[in-house]
Formats: sequence, C-alpha cells, structure tokens
Amino acid sequence: MDPTLIVLLYSSLAASAAALGALPLIRRAEVPASWIGWANAIAGGLMLGSAHALSGAGMALEPFVATGGALLGIGFTYGTHLVSDTEDLDLNRLHETDPTYGSKVLLTSFLHSASEGIAIGVAMVLDLRFGIFMALAIAVHNIPEATILIAVMRGRGVRLLPAAALAVAIDGGQVLFAVVVFAVVSAAPGSTAMMSGFAVGTLIYLVLVELLPESYRQTGPTTIAVLTSVAMGVLILLRGGLG
Amino acid sequence: MELHPVWTVFAYGLVTALATGVGALPFVFVRSVSVRAVAYSNAIAAGLMLGASFGLVAEGSEWGSAQTFIGTLLGIAFILGTQRWLGSHDVEVGELRGAGARKMLLIVVVMTVHSFAEGVAIGSSFAGGLTLATVITVAIAIHNVPEGLAISAVLRPQGTSLAACAGWSIFSSLPQPLMAVPAFLFVDAFQPALPYGVGFAAGAMVFMVFVELLPEALEGASRSAVGLLTAGSLVAMILFQALL
Ligand SMILES: [Zn+2]
Repeated sequence: MDPTLIVLLYSSLAASAAALGALPLIRRAEVPASWIGWANAIAGGLMLGSAHALSGAGMALEPFVATGGALLGIGFTYGTHLVSDTEDLDLNRLHETDPTYGSKVLLTSFLHSASEGIAIGVAMVLDLRFGIFMALAIAVHNIPEATILIAVMRGRGVRLLPAAALAVAIDGGQVLFAVVVFAVVSAAPGSTAMMSGFAVGTLIYLVLVELLPESYRQTGPTTIAVLTSVAMGVLILLRGGLG
Repeated sequence: MELHPVWTVFAYGLVTALATGVGALPFVFVRSVSVRAVAYSNAIAAGLMLGASFGLVAEGSEWGSAQTFIGTLLGIAFILGTQRWLGSHDVEVGELRGAGARKMLLIVVVMTVHSFAEGVAIGSSFAGGLTLATVITVAIAIHNVPEGLAISAVLRPQGTSLAACAGWSIFSSLPQPLMAVPAFLFVDAFQPALPYGVGFAAGAMVFMVFVELLPEALEGASRSAVGLLTAGSLVAMILFQALL
C-alpha cells in the first residue's frame, strides 16, 4: 500500500475512535467530575508515553536539533495559548455560562489534536510500524479526551450525536496534520529530528498545562499519579515489546 | 589506586544527600522564601526527575520490557504504600507556615522515607553504567534542593538555627547513600534483577513527580509557568543524557 494511504488510514482510525468517547454519556446526561479527572490522567499518561518513544528516536538522529525542535514545540504551544487567551482555560467546565467558552474549548482542542497529528506524521516517517503504533496509541487516548469534550458540549445543550461528530471532526486535525507532516518530512528528511523534537515538546507541554492541572482539581493527586504513571508505563511496555 | 565500586556508589549517594543541605542556603539571606519560589523549584525538579526516569526506562527496556514494567509497578506501589503507612498526611509547602512540632517531625519522616526509593534508584542505576548513574545522581541531587528548601522553610521560622536546618535537610536524605549501596550490590550480584531495580526506581520517581512535585508546583505558580519550567528541564535532561 502507498505509505501516504497508510498514514491517512491510521490517522483516520485514530480520529474516529473519538466517537467511542460518547459511550459513557449514552445512558446519563452528565458524567461525574472524578471520571473527567481519570480520563485526563489516562490520556496524559498515553501522551507522555508517546513523547518518550518519539524523543528516543529524535535524539538518536541529532540530539541538538531534536532539542531545539522540542523547545520550539514548547514555545509554539505556549504562544498559541497566549494568543488565543487560553493559558488558564479549563477544558472541562460542565456548567460554564460564558458564551465564548465553547468556541475557546473547540479551538484549543483543535490545536491539541494538530500536535498529535504531527507526532503521528513524523513517527510514520521514522518507521511505518512505529507510526502505526503511535496512531493506535493516540486513538486510544482520543477516547477519554473525547468523553470530556462531549460532556462539555452536552453541558452547553448540544445533543449527543452532534457532540460526538464534533469530537471526531476536531480530531480530524490529527488526520490533516499527520498527512501533511508525513508528506513534508518525507520530502525533506533533514527535518525529521527537528519535527520529532517539536512533537515531543508540544505533547509534554500539553499534558502539563491542559490535562494534569484540571484533573488534580477533580480527583486527588494519588489517583491521578497512579493512572498517569501506569498509562505511561503500559505504553512504553508495548513499545518495547514491538522492538 | 582502584577504589571498590561500592565507595563510588556511596559517594554519589552522599553528594545527593549533601545537595539537600543546599536548600537551607537561601535562609542565610532571607527569613522566608516565597511560595512561588518553592513552586518554581518543584516544577524544575519535576522535569529533571521525569527526564531521568525516561533514561532509566530506556536502559531497563534493553534488558527486558516486561521486567522493567513489573519493576515500575513495584516502585509505584512502594511509594503508595509508604504514603498509606504514614497515614496519608498531605505534606504541602503552602501549609507549612506556623506548623507545629508534630508537622515538623512528619515532614522529616516523609522526606526520609522518600529517600529510600531514591537511594535504590542511585544504586541500581550504577549497574547500568557510570553514565546512567551520573544522570540519575544529578537529577536526584537537584531534586533534593527544593526538598531541603521545604524542610528549612518549616524549621527556620520556628527559630531553628541555620546549621540545624541544613543538618535536618541532609539527615532526611541520608537513606540515599545508605540504600544505594545494598541496591547496587544486589543488582550487581543478580544481573536478572537489574531491569526490576531500574524499573522500580523509574516508577517511584515518576510517581513522586505526579503525586507531589507537580501538584505542589501548580498550587504555587501559574500552569503556563509550570509547563514551561517542567517541560524545559525535562528536555534539557534528555539532551544531557544523550550527550553523556
Ligand atoms: Zn491529547
């Protein structure tokens, strides 16, 4: 199969997994706050595990360039939060009444999924099997993240099916960026270390700024720490098993 | 002259313990440190510890992913267990002001128990080579500074002398050299134990980052400040390891 088709296929699979995030909301109008905290922690652990795998690959190529890329990724994500005025935005307020809140959450979520698309795209360039692994990891992590997004949208009066469709559409950013980054980096292989560093920087920063602060507020640090570190460990274990 | 490796292990552990005493130094100049300064140093320590455990996990995975993972779970369980054993007292820097003697004792005990896991980390990392050991030792040493800061921040306002602040800080980290040696001897003698030991250390360190360092950092500083400091120091730590 054409490698670009493989990227398209697996990143689309990842984005579609977001629809499964609607499952916990089928039989209840609202999920308990603690579930949101757990979902964030699991998603965060999977993102950190992905960053771990990607950082090893980038550092093996060119350590300084990969580090530069990572700092760029951190700075870029900080910048987008600053420009969009979302540095202190909680992405999980179920009863927020501010009318601009919904659009801010959607914008931030799109930028978030774009970063994950970069990670999938660059991993695919490094090695197709690694890329597929990355896409599947992101797919699993999309489920808890989508549950949160759908819960927020439900709280703003959006019906379940449109909310689930919206979650999949937001994660379409992963498809878009995976395909574009795969094409660009394949065409310019010299940018591989830089781009993998960039993806590592954004993934780590997003976990620290978007996922963990909120989950600590909803559930005690002990539960969050267990879920995050075990989710991270499982992903690293699976990656090691692939060799 | 060839020193027995045990002395090197002990010396590395001693360095990290002494680094804890550095946390008392700011009190030479000030009566108290701001909550934000403690939060910033916790955020930096969190990044360094995460970066160091990235290296530990990579080392362990070369010897066996499954064993490393089991070790990781044991490390998490160890810290969880000690927390339970101590009665799940949340020791938070924000609450330290005006704390009583019981609180002081508790903090020293909590820190001391933590040092056990860090000592195991230092010792087992030696079995992975001197480079890995240096990385882990540097990370733990720097991480110890805010711990010493936290201890001194409680003791100093109670009228404790500077020397005693530094002394208690170092005392809280003494298990590091003391635990590093048996941990090293163990993984050195039983090579199959190596990935378990390395995984244990990584699990304990990562868990401490998520259960203590990050929540405390986030309480005293904005999330973007924590994000920048922690992510930045994590990346720096990964580079440091790649260069060694
Ligand atoms: Zn995510």
